[in-house]
Amino acid sequence: MPVVLTVDPRSGVPIYLQVIEQVKRSVAIGVLAAGEQLPTVKQLALDLTINPNTVAKAYRELERDGVIETSPGRGSFVKSNGVKDTTKAAAMDVARDAIDGVVREAKSIGLGAEDIRSLANAAIDRWFREAE
Amino acid sequence: MNYVEWLRVRNTLRVLAIVLGAFILIVLVLRISFNQYITEDNAFIKHIKLEPGATVSQSVLPDGTKRTTIKSPSDNTTVVIDNHGINGRHIVITEPLSKAHEHEHRAVIGSVVYNERNVGKMAVTTIDTNGSVPFLYYMAIADLAAFFIATVLAAPFARESDGHLEYALTKPVSRETFAVSVIGADLAGIIAASLMTIVALLLCQAMFEVPSFDFGGVNTSAILMGIAAPFAWYGLLAASTASLKRGYGAILGFAWPVAILVVVFAEIPWGDSLVGQLVHNVFWTISRIDPLSYISFTVDENSAGQLTGPPNFAPRLAIEFALFLIYSTLAVVQWRRVEA
Amino acid sequence: MSTISIENLRKTYGRYTAIDGLSVAIPEGCVFGLLGPNGAGKTTTFKCMLGLARADSGTVLYDGKPLEPSTFERIAYVPERSVLYDWMTVAEHVEMQRRAYTKFSVQRANELLAQFSIDPHKKARALSKGMRTATMVALAIAREADMLILDEPTSGLDPINQRHVLNLMINESARGATIIFSSHQIGQVERAAERIAVIDKGHLALEGAVDDLKADRKIVEGIFPDESYALNGVANDPRIARADRSGRIVRLLTTDGAPEFVNKLEAMGASGVRIVDLNLEDIFLYAVSPSDATADVVEGAGS
Repeated sequence: MPVVLTVDPRSGVPIYLQVIEQVKRSVAIGVLAAGEQLPTVKQLALDLTINPNTVAKAYRELERDGVIETSPGRGSFVKSNGVKDTTKAAAMDVARDAIDGVVREAKSIGLGAEDIRSLANAAIDRWFREAE
Repeated sequence: MNYVEWLRVRNTLRVLAIVLGAFILIVLVLRISFNQYITEDNAFIKHIKLEPGATVSQSVLPDGTKRTTIKSPSDNTTVVIDNHGINGRHIVITEPLSKAHEHEHRAVIGSVVYNERNVGKMAVTTIDTNGSVPFLYYMAIADLAAFFIATVLAAPFARESDGHLEYALTKPVSRETFAVSVIGADLAGIIAASLMTIVALLLCQAMFEVPSFDFGGVNTSAILMGIAAPFAWYGLLAASTASLKRGYGAILGFAWPVAILVVVFAEIPWGDSLVGQLVHNVFWTISRIDPLSYISFTVDENSAGQLTGPPNFAPRLAIEFALFLIYSTLAVVQWRRVEA
Repeated sequence: MSTISIENLRKTYGRYTAIDGLSVAIPEGCVFGLLGPNGAGKTTTFKCMLGLARADSGTVLYDGKPLEPSTFERIAYVPERSVLYDWMTVAEHVEMQRRAYTKFSVQRANELLAQFSIDPHKKARALSKGMRTATMVALAIAREADMLILDEPTSGLDPINQRHVLNLMINESARGATIIFSSHQIGQVERAAERIAVIDKGHLALEGAVDDLKADRKIVEGIFPDESYALNGVANDPRIARADRSGRIVRLLTTDGAPEFVNKLEAMGASGVRIVDLNLEDIFLYAVSPSDATADVVEGAGS
């Protein structure tokens, strides 16, 4: 399955972080399966029209985070051993960033820690009840 | 590295080729319309008013020459016309000596050699229509083209400065190498223009007769002069325009009248008054750096019948070459300092 | 393959100073974007780098060595305006390049021209402004040069061809070429450039990796209960590039440590404190627009 990544260079979020986030999300939701090959740095740079060194930097970080592994000459692949761990870790990363932003926003408009915690619990109850 | 200059040379020579081609075509039309006068002696003789009692006989010699003999007993004159076809005519006129033939006489007009001798009591006049042409005549005409091309090509550096330095100056050669190669291309173009013109002249001549030249006397040096003068002219214009980014066209256009006026004003008498002398001296001094002032049309003939130039021909030639070198150096020096 | 370093470059035209002590280092294989308002000195910088204009002082080094004629085998340059010869065909320009540069590939040039739909038999004067730019880009890319110096390489091009030029640059970069380019289209710089420099009135106003600048440069904004607040030295902090106050609102442009300033503002009694991400256009505009007031004025009555 071809990887569909999109970046918004005009956003204030560094492009390499956008690439990392999207690869992690793709791994987390299974669009990228274990062992699947990622586009080469050059290919992804051309597909997205972004700087190749930026893509390379994102791949390096993904490798350090244990999401992908790169073998010289063959390319980059989604890590195959411990797929579950990889997937979970990727999902945690994505969710952590999202929650972090929400909490910061809530705090900036004057909510205290207890208020935010009760809101979080309410959200969890709602979403997980519906899921059951 | 100087491909652009080669293209400029090529385009300029293309214009010259069209002009020369048109010239050859006109001569060809003339040649065809005068055909019968050239190949047929009858048509030629028809127009000669013969004395009463004169006889005309025609024969073909073993080598194919058509001989026409006109004998006029009443004035004791014999005319023998040998028509060698493409090799021209050899005409011998034998007549009694008269006042008009007191001095022996020789004249060369183009390829026509006219010779008068006294043999006993008779005057023998020979006319060869296919003599050797002094080469300097060809060179003089070729130089018209050479000067034209030299003028058109003479602003190579200004043309690059006019919006192309970003290409001209980012080539992997030094500025000096680039400049020298550009000048070299233009000089080759000037020489090519001379050659093309000479070839065109020969073609035109060959329609009438087999060309033959005289390289004796001043003719060889005249070839050198014919090269040096347009080179020096090119150098002068190249140096005058090398620092310009625009307006060089005006310089190329006005250079001719100005340079000719300088020569004329340096030569004509301004009178013996102080002002007259001053004006003369000013123009004479300026004319020293004007390549046109070293060109001379004075030719003479030495005892061997060869053409000679003016007595100071060699220094003139040397000065033209020196002017070319100095002006070209000035152009290169300016090119080194050019900024985009 | 190649590094370019510019040190203390200075260029004056009479009494006008076009470049005033500019120093920039471009690492090997980097795509380096040069930004600046009109007349900031971008084109002059390029001309000085290439020896087309003589700098008054300063050095430009390619792989540590000064420019010499042979360096031009390795540098391809696309100038800001068309320098094509109007009377020559595009194919003749290709031939000109082939004769001048040993590594020039005629085949690649023809491929590129075809991609831009340029007829090689056309004379340059028959090309539109954008097609002239595209021709110059094609002539430069086909050089397979180690370094590319591109002055507004997308000017006059339609969006499709602009994107194509960006992809050509990316391709050259992936090949290992070092690229420095200028553009007024910040969106393009944002995509293609790894590092940028902003120059303003001949001075270097800002330099850094695009992603680092975005990660570090944030606006921290807070609202105080009334207008008579003091910032307790925050506006003078070296990490604050600029501080603006209008009424009860304070906006801090941080170059680092935005969360820390959130805490500081909150500790001083500000509410609704938030961090605003900046895109490159914001960062550029902040770099070249003068701040309205000095830090001392911004600091407020209490300081």
